[in-house]
Amino acid sequence: MTEPGPNTLTAEAAQALGPARSPAGILWRRFLEHRLALGSLLVLILFAAAALAAPVIEQLLGHDATLVDLFNAKQPASLAHPLGTDELGRDLLLRLLYGGRVSLTVGLVAALCAAVIGTAVGLWAGYFGGAADALLMRLTDGVIALPLLPLLIVLAAIDLTKLGLPEALATSQDVSLYRIVVLIALVGWTTVARLVRGATLSMKTREFVRAARALGAGAPRIVLVHILPNVVSPIIVATTLSIGNIILLESVLSFLGLGIQPPIASWGNMLTNAQELIWDAPALAIYPGLLIFATVIAFNFLGDGLQDALDPRAVE
Amino acid sequence: MLRYIAQRLSESALVLLIMSFVIYGLIGLMPGDPIDLMINADPKLTAADAARLRALHGLDRPIWERYLTWLGGAMQGDFGFSRLHSRPVLEILWPRLGTTVILMGLSFALALLLAVPAGLLAALKPRSWRDAAVNVIAFAGISVPPFWLAILLIIVFAVLLGWLPAGGMAPRGAGLGAQIAHLALPVATLTLATLGGILRFVRAAAMEALRQDYVRTARAKGLGERQVVLGHVLRNAMIPVVTILALNFGALFSGALITETMFGTLGMGKTIYDSILGNDFNLALVGLLLATLTTLLANLLADICYAWLDPRISYD
Amino acid sequence: MRWRRAAPIRALRPFAALAFALSLAFFPGGPARAGDLTIGMTQFPSTLHPLIDSMLAKTYVNSMVRRPFTAYDQEWKLICMLCTELPSLENGLAVLETTADGKNGIAVTYKIQPKATWGDGTPVTSADVMFAWEVGRHPLSGVSNLELYKRIIAIDVLDDKTVTLHTDKVTFEYAAINDFLLLPAHIERPIFEADPASYRSRTAFDSDPTNPGLAFGPYRVSEVESGARIVLVRNETWWGQKPAFDKITVRVIENTAALEANLLSGALDMITGELGLTLDQALAFEKRNGARFDVMYKPGLTYEHLDLNLDNPILADKRVRKALVHALDRDSISERLFEGRQPVAHGSVSALDWVHDPEIPKYPYDPARAKALLDEAGWSDLKDGVRHNAAGERLMIELMTTAGNRSRELVEQVLQSQWKQVGIDVRIRNEPARVFFGETVSKRKFTGAAMFAWLSAPENVPRTTLHSESIPSEDNAWGGQNYTGYNNAEMDALLEIIETELDRPKRKALWSRLQRIYVEDLPAIPLYWRAAAFILPKWLSGVRPTGHQDPTTLWVEEWTDSR
Repeated sequence: MTEPGPNTLTAEAAQALGPARSPAGILWRRFLEHRLALGSLLVLILFAAAALAAPVIEQLLGHDATLVDLFNAKQPASLAHPLGTDELGRDLLLRLLYGGRVSLTVGLVAALCAAVIGTAVGLWAGYFGGAADALLMRLTDGVIALPLLPLLIVLAAIDLTKLGLPEALATSQDVSLYRIVVLIALVGWTTVARLVRGATLSMKTREFVRAARALGAGAPRIVLVHILPNVVSPIIVATTLSIGNIILLESVLSFLGLGIQPPIASWGNMLTNAQELIWDAPALAIYPGLLIFATVIAFNFLGDGLQDALDPRAVE
Repeated sequence: MLRYIAQRLSESALVLLIMSFVIYGLIGLMPGDPIDLMINADPKLTAADAARLRALHGLDRPIWERYLTWLGGAMQGDFGFSRLHSRPVLEILWPRLGTTVILMGLSFALALLLAVPAGLLAALKPRSWRDAAVNVIAFAGISVPPFWLAILLIIVFAVLLGWLPAGGMAPRGAGLGAQIAHLALPVATLTLATLGGILRFVRAAAMEALRQDYVRTARAKGLGERQVVLGHVLRNAMIPVVTILALNFGALFSGALITETMFGTLGMGKTIYDSILGNDFNLALVGLLLATLTTLLANLLADICYAWLDPRISYD
Repeated sequence: MRWRRAAPIRALRPFAALAFALSLAFFPGGPARAGDLTIGMTQFPSTLHPLIDSMLAKTYVNSMVRRPFTAYDQEWKLICMLCTELPSLENGLAVLETTADGKNGIAVTYKIQPKATWGDGTPVTSADVMFAWEVGRHPLSGVSNLELYKRIIAIDVLDDKTVTLHTDKVTFEYAAINDFLLLPAHIERPIFEADPASYRSRTAFDSDPTNPGLAFGPYRVSEVESGARIVLVRNETWWGQKPAFDKITVRVIENTAALEANLLSGALDMITGELGLTLDQALAFEKRNGARFDVMYKPGLTYEHLDLNLDNPILADKRVRKALVHALDRDSISERLFEGRQPVAHGSVSALDWVHDPEIPKYPYDPARAKALLDEAGWSDLKDGVRHNAAGERLMIELMTTAGNRSRELVEQVLQSQWKQVGIDVRIRNEPARVFFGETVSKRKFTGAAMFAWLSAPENVPRTTLHSESIPSEDNAWGGQNYTGYNNAEMDALLEIIETELDRPKRKALWSRLQRIYVEDLPAIPLYWRAAAFILPKWLSGVRPTGHQDPTTLWVEEWTDSR
C-alpha cells in the first residue's frame, strides 16, 4: 500500500506532540498513530466542509443549483460546470454538494439516535436481567423481525398534519428526509442493543464490577461509570459501521423508490437515477457512487481508529 | 438449561403470534386494497364491480375478523391463497424458500470461510500491511451500494465478458452447470456485501481476545502460537461473531431483496416485497412469519452458543 | 430422509466445484438455437385465466394462445379475429330491436372461425361462448369486469359456430366485443359447477396451465415458472398461418437495467415495448447498440397528464389553469428529454384517433401570457420570486406523482423549474405507486396536481374520467375516475350522446365539441403521449406495434425470422 501524503504529516505531528502524559494526550497520540483513520477523518471533514460551503460555491459559480436547463443537459466538464451537468442541465458539482449535506445528515443523525436507544436498552437488559431482560430482548427480536417495507409505506401515507405537525413542515419537500431518519432510528437500534447486552452480561461478572458493588456503589453508578466505558468500543464499532450502512440504506431505499424524494438531491437518489444512463452519461453514476463509497469507507476506518484509541484496557 | 430453552421457545411462539397480528395490521393499515389496485389497472371497472369484488374477497369485513379467519385456517394447516400468483401460499413459498436458502447459505458459507481466517490473520499483526489490506478489502465490500455492485458485476461478467448469465433462474431441469452459472453472480454479490461485516467483527474480537490475560498466560506457559490462536483466541473471537451471525440468520430465509431484484432470482426477499406492494395479504404474512420464526430460533441458538463459548455467562 | 440425503451431496462437492469451473468455460452466452425466440418483459401475470384480474402481461401472453372475437388493428380499425365477419347494421348481422322491457336494444350475430379448435382437438363452439357468459355474469366467480357480461341480456345459439348476442343499450361500438373472452367449457365447466365461489382458486388456467385444451391460438403454454418465465410452443390445431417460431419463451425481469443487460448478454432476443424499457433508456440504448438491434418507437394512447384538483380554490380559477399551461415549454420537454419521440398532447384525444380535431385551440409556450393571466387572477404581488394575492396568500401548488418512476420525476422537476420562472411555487411530494393510486388519487387526497397516465382504446368515450357522476366520493364507495372533480353539464350530456350516436360524421362533430370544451375548461393539463420502445433483433421482422392497448402478439404468426 502506498502512503498518501497526509499520513506522513501525521507521523510528524505525532512526534512533534512528544511524550504526552495526560490520558487525553495518550488517546490523541494513539489516534494519530492510526494513519488510515486520520486520513479518513480529514476526508470526512473535507466532505462536510464542502457540503456546508455549498451555497458559497453556488455563489462563486454563479448558477442556481436547482435551475433546470434542458438545452444544457449532460454536458461534459467545463469551466462553468467543473463536473459537467446532469440529465436536466443542472450543475453536477452543486448537486453533489447539496446531496452530500442530505446524505451525511441522514447518516449521522439516524446513527446517533439509534446508538442512544440501543445502548440504553442493552445496558438495562444486560445489567438487570430477569423479566426486564426477557421483555426488552423479545422487543428487540420483534423489531429485528419487523418488516421495514410496510412500515415505510404506512409512514409515507400518514397525514402528518393530523399528527399535529405544522402545515408548513408537513407540506415541505423535506418530509421524506425526516421520515427516513425517524424510521431508521426506530428500527436500527437493535444491533447496538444486542451487542451492548452481550458485553454487559459478560462484564457484570468481572471482578471490578463485583468489587464496586461490594463497595456499595448504586446501580446507576456501576452501569454508567464501570460498565458503560467498557462496552463503549462495541458501540463505536457498531455506530460507525451503521453510519456507513445508513448512507447505503438510503441509496437502497432510493433504488426502491422509497428514499429521499426529488427534487432534493441525495447521493443515493442521484446514483439510482444514473443507473439507466450508465453508458450514456457515466459521470452521473460515477461521482455519487464514488462519494458514497469514499464516505462509507472513511467512516469505517475512522471508527476503527477510534476503537483502538478508546479501548480503556489499553490505557494503563 | 432445558428449562431455559423451553421458556424461550414458548416466548418465541408468543412473539410469533403477536407478530402475525402486527404484520397483518400493518398491511391492513397500508392505504388502498387489492381492488383499488385492480381499478387502477382496468379503467373499465365500475363502482359496482369494485364493491362486489371487495365482498367476494372479504375486504369489506373488519381487519381483525379477517385476521381471525386466517388464523383459524392456519391452525388447520391452510395458510391461504396468494392473490398475486393464484396458487396456495405454500406452493409458491416452498421453491422460493429453497432458492433463498441455497443462495444465502452459499454466500454466507463463502463469506465465513474467507472472513474468519482473514480476520485472525489481520488481528495477529495489527497495523501491518496485511492488516491494512484485509481492512481495505473488508470495507470496500460493505461500502458499495449493493445494486451498484450487482450492475457492475453484470456489466463485466455478463455483458462484456459474456461468461455468466446476467441473472434469472436456470430453466427447470437444466443441468447443474447452468444452475451454478445462474447463481454465481448473485452469490458473488452477496458474499462481497456480507464478507466485510463479519470480517470486521472477527478481527475486533480476536484483537480483544489477544489482549486478555489467559492468552498471555497461555503464551507464558510456552504454548505454540498455533495452539494459542486456535484454542483460545478463535474461541473467544467467536462470541461477537455468533451475535452477528444470529442477526443475519433471519436474512437466510427472508432473502436479499436487492440482489434478487437485480438478478431476477426468485427468492423470499423479492416475493415478500412484491406481495406487500401487491397487497397479497396471505403471501406477505406467511413469508414474513417464516423469516421471523427463523430469526427468533437463530437468536435462541446464539444465546445457547454464548453459554457454551463463554462459561462466565449462565442462564438461570 | 433429509439427513440421509446430505451425505452424497457432501461427497459431490468437489465435482460441483469442477462443474462450476467448466460452466464458466462452456456456458454459452447466447440463447437457444434458431427457431426459438426469447422475449423479455417486466411483469409477470398474476393469473392466466382470461377473465380474472386484467393486466397487460396476461394480455400479452394470452394473445399468442387465444384470440378475442374482435380487436383493433394497427390502423385502429375494428377487425374480426375469432369471428369470420364483422357484424354491422349494413351487412345485416347487427339488427336494432326493442327489448322486452321496452328499451332500445341490438342483436349482433358472430360466426366463429370454422376451423377454430382447442389444442386438445375439441372444436371451439357456441357452448364455450355460453359458458364464458355464464362465468362472466356469476357474482361469485371473481371475474373483475362483470358489467361487460351483464350488459348482454341474452345469447341465442344459432348453431355450433354461430351466436347472437342481445344487449339493451345501443352504442356505436355495438360490434366490438374485444373483452368477451372464451373459456373451454369441456375443461372448465366441471370445475366451475363443483363450486362457483372457489372457482377462481381451482381453475385449470392456474392449476394445470400447460393443458393444451386451454389454447386455440397459434401457440400453447408448455411451461410456467411463476415469476420467471412462460414457455410457449406451437399449437398444432391453429387455424391460421403457421407461426415462424417453434418455441417462444417469455422471460420476466422487472429491473429495466437488468433487463437491458440480459438483452446485451444474449440471454434475451428482444424486449417488448408494451412492458419494456423506459423511453430514455431505449434512446440511450439505440445510440450504443443501434447496429445490433432495431429500435422501434410507437407513440400511442397512453396519455400523460396532470390531474388538477378543482376543489382547490387556486386551481378552481380557469385563468390560473390556463396560465399553468402557457408557462410550460412542452415542446422543449418532448424534444430534449425524449428526442421528440413522445409527441406533446394538446387534449385528451390522440391525433392518431379518427375523431381527433386538429383545429382545437392550443396553448403555446408563452410566459408573458401566463404572467398576465396570473396578474388578472389576482396573483400579482411578487415577493421573493413567488406570487401572492391581495390577501397575502402564496401561490403554492403541490405536485405529486409515483415515486421511483424516473421519467415522471424528471419531467416533474422541469415543470417545477418552469413554473418557478413565472412566480409559482411548486412543491413536489411523491409517493410510492401503492399509496399514490391506492389512496391519494383514488380518494382525491391530492391538493394540487397529480401526474399519471391513462391507457385507453381507440375512440374511447372518457365517461369514467370526465362525467360528473364519476367523481369519487364516500357515497359511491370511491368509484369512478373523475379525480379532478370536473363537473360540466354540457360535457355530461355529450358523453351520453356520443356513446349512442351511430352516425360517424355526426359523432365526429360531437367529439369535436367535447375536445373544445376540454381544452377550454382544462380540468387536466395535457403533457404528452407516451411512446413504447420495442427493441428487436435485426433478423426479426413483422412486429407491428398498435399504439393502443391491444398487444403486438395478436399478430404473432406474422413475425418472421430471417436467420
